[in-house]
Amino acid sequence: MADGSMGQFLVADLTSRKAWTLPLPQWLKDDFVGGKGFGAKLLYDLTPAGADPLGPENVIMFMAGPLTATAAPAMRACVITKSPLTGIYLDSFFGGRFGPEIKFAGYDGLIILGRATRPTYVWISDDQVEFRSAEGMWGTDALAANDRVKKDLDAPEARVVTIGQAGENRVKFALISCEFNRQAGRGGAGAVMGSKNLKAIAISGSRLVKVNDPAAFHEACDAAGADIRASQTCAALTDSGTSNAVPWSNSVGTLPFRNYFDQVDDQADRLGDEGQKKHLFLGKAACFGCPIRCSQMGAVRSGKYAPMITDIVEYESAALMGSNIDIHDVRAVAHLVKLCDAYGLDSMSTGGVIGFAFEAVEKGIIDPPPGVKLSFGSVAGAEYLIDAIAMQNSDLGRLLGLGVRRAAARLGGDAEAFALHVKGLEVPGWAPRGTPGMGLAYMTADRGACHQRGFMVAYEVGGKEFRGKPVDTYGLVQKAEILKGEQDYLAGLDTLVKCDFGAFGVTSKSYVRMFQAATGRSVDARFFDILGERIWNQTRLFNLREGLTAREDRLPRRIVSEPLPSGPHKGRRISEADMAVMLADYYQQRGWDKNGHPTEGKLQSLNLDKRIRFTITPKPIPDQIGISTRLRD
Amino acid sequence: MAEKYFIKTNFDLCTGCCLCQLACSMRLLGGYNPHRALLRIEHAGENLYHFPTVCNQCANPYCANVCPVQAIRRDPATGAMVVDHEQCVACNLCHRYCPIGVVGVDVELKKSVKCDLCDGAPRCVAACPTGALELAVGGEVNHG
Repeated sequence: MADGSMGQFLVADLTSRKAWTLPLPQWLKDDFVGGKGFGAKLLYDLTPAGADPLGPENVIMFMAGPLTATAAPAMRACVITKSPLTGIYLDSFFGGRFGPEIKFAGYDGLIILGRATRPTYVWISDDQVEFRSAEGMWGTDALAANDRVKKDLDAPEARVVTIGQAGENRVKFALISCEFNRQAGRGGAGAVMGSKNLKAIAISGSRLVKVNDPAAFHEACDAAGADIRASQTCAALTDSGTSNAVPWSNSVGTLPFRNYFDQVDDQADRLGDEGQKKHLFLGKAACFGCPIRCSQMGAVRSGKYAPMITDIVEYESAALMGSNIDIHDVRAVAHLVKLCDAYGLDSMSTGGVIGFAFEAVEKGIIDPPPGVKLSFGSVAGAEYLIDAIAMQNSDLGRLLGLGVRRAAARLGGDAEAFALHVKGLEVPGWAPRGTPGMGLAYMTADRGACHQRGFMVAYEVGGKEFRGKPVDTYGLVQKAEILKGEQDYLAGLDTLVKCDFGAFGVTSKSYVRMFQAATGRSVDARFFDILGERIWNQTRLFNLREGLTAREDRLPRRIVSEPLPSGPHKGRRISEADMAVMLADYYQQRGWDKNGHPTEGKLQSLNLDKRIRFTITPKPIPDQIGISTRLRD
Repeated sequence: MAEKYFIKTNFDLCTGCCLCQLACSMRLLGGYNPHRALLRIEHAGENLYHFPTVCNQCANPYCANVCPVQAIRRDPATGAMVVDHEQCVACNLCHRYCPIGVVGVDVELKKSVKCDLCDGAPRCVAACPTGALELAVGGEVNHG
């Protein structure tokens, strides 16, 4: 019976150069649904404890969900692996057209194992899988590699993910480029591909994705579409993407300025929708199946960086590669972000690292190379560092390519005081002094500092109400309760795999309707909350197994000990005492002990106590399970 | 003589979302796959441009002209050229001679498929969120 899934994973083992299929167990679908759920469970089961993230024993997976590749509006897919940047669980979500193609080829997810001996790319065309040489394209950037793969295959219709030089060189915050303008950006998944000598994966499929009740599904999708049309937030995203968040964030005092020294920037408007509409935007592009079309496509057509086609400078890039390093020419920021896209670097972490480096130079902790100016506001300096980090051809590039946590540890002295990270992941562009709940969100997110697992800014300075009442901006009570609810619900939807922007409009009722009609399952209104809580505990179990302790559920020193110099939250910080209060409350809300470990009772209530394991048959015999694997050099 | 409907494309409004193709493949095949829909979208210039291509319901339809069994005929109600699956022998000559590649044998149905305007209420047009696809009324049909 059709249920939105394709019923199988594709396993590709780069070491043995074999591929095979694995049926999706019913228990996995029942308890984990798809996307992040599958990833959380499989990463725990398939990666040995203590695995080197850049060793062959790490697994990298591309997971779709039951609503990916359907007419359900605004769906995506995700990459899951053990992060080389943080050493813990990583998922990174991407839109575009690669995710749906996994299902059109007949799979709910790709599980990549091992390490190729030579540069390789994998070509999946329905049930044909080839391991092909990527030696001729090793050293190319992520966008050029996309083109090269399609030409090599003579398959312009193929959907391709690639890494650039940064991934090849195992920069710890290298990304995976998912066709143009879409990336699995955070946490270094690109370095994991690089460590496996995997330059690209190309996929094309002719299978149909079927849902349980097409008529009911059509109606449910219409209802979700109506939710989106009724949403002012979605309308703003259609109008100007996330660029309008720049002036808003500045007005509410959450925009990082000069490596988070401050949280207001008097030139913010130049980086926002006003500046971008003037200098960049031409038209709109959408991810597969999305009516929101948040991508504002355009071009730099004048000035030093012209001519260049560019997507919108997203809020996170504008904040971290713009205001955070004191650069306000939006064309220059677009140029720097495009450099990151091509090299295959996460522009968020890269902006954080550059801010850290500029401040280190200011404080005399780093000596800039002769003739190079590394200071806030310097586009040339930022460009130099992006190149050095991606190419790993200098001591400075190698130091900064480790991310701010490791770089600060190597530099020693006072460097940790201005290294903005949680668990090694550089802090996103929502600076939290003044929004303690957002601080708690960073402290507790499963992949390190992440704004997408619970966006508390919306409650604390955005006017969003909790149970019909406004939320106290600076108060500490209730923040843990609100955040846990957000984390659980969103993780539940990340099994589908939802896009955050769709979730601004689509109601929980509509998600339930679409899910029921697609899968044929009957679920209640609390389904996604409980599912998300299960996942949140599963990822916690992974992180604890990998050595995480409660000591790392904390904020960077600057946020904790330096009161804000100006802006709406002048004088604010999130102190050690504030963190302790919120964290104790959070553990209690979660049913975790004081060390942040899930109790056996909690695991039992979530059906995680039985510890059923997902296993992969070690010696596949491709011919017997219906997949022909062609080997090619 | 009849009114001729056709789908007008406005590439400047197309965002490449493919919701049209999802609606089309679901109606045609009972499942989703844009590659098997009866209209195509070309994404170009790093996603700066999107070009939808739909059947022109030609006045001089090569697909019908080359069909050896006259399986492709005009629906008098809509003006659409429609494949009669009872007669189609899946020779795929229609595909070979269609100048824009929007007719041909489906891999599973083993019959030629093409846009029939959904009997006058095209699902793709209804699914398009931007107005990049419009149902338009043309003049009299030139029977060629």
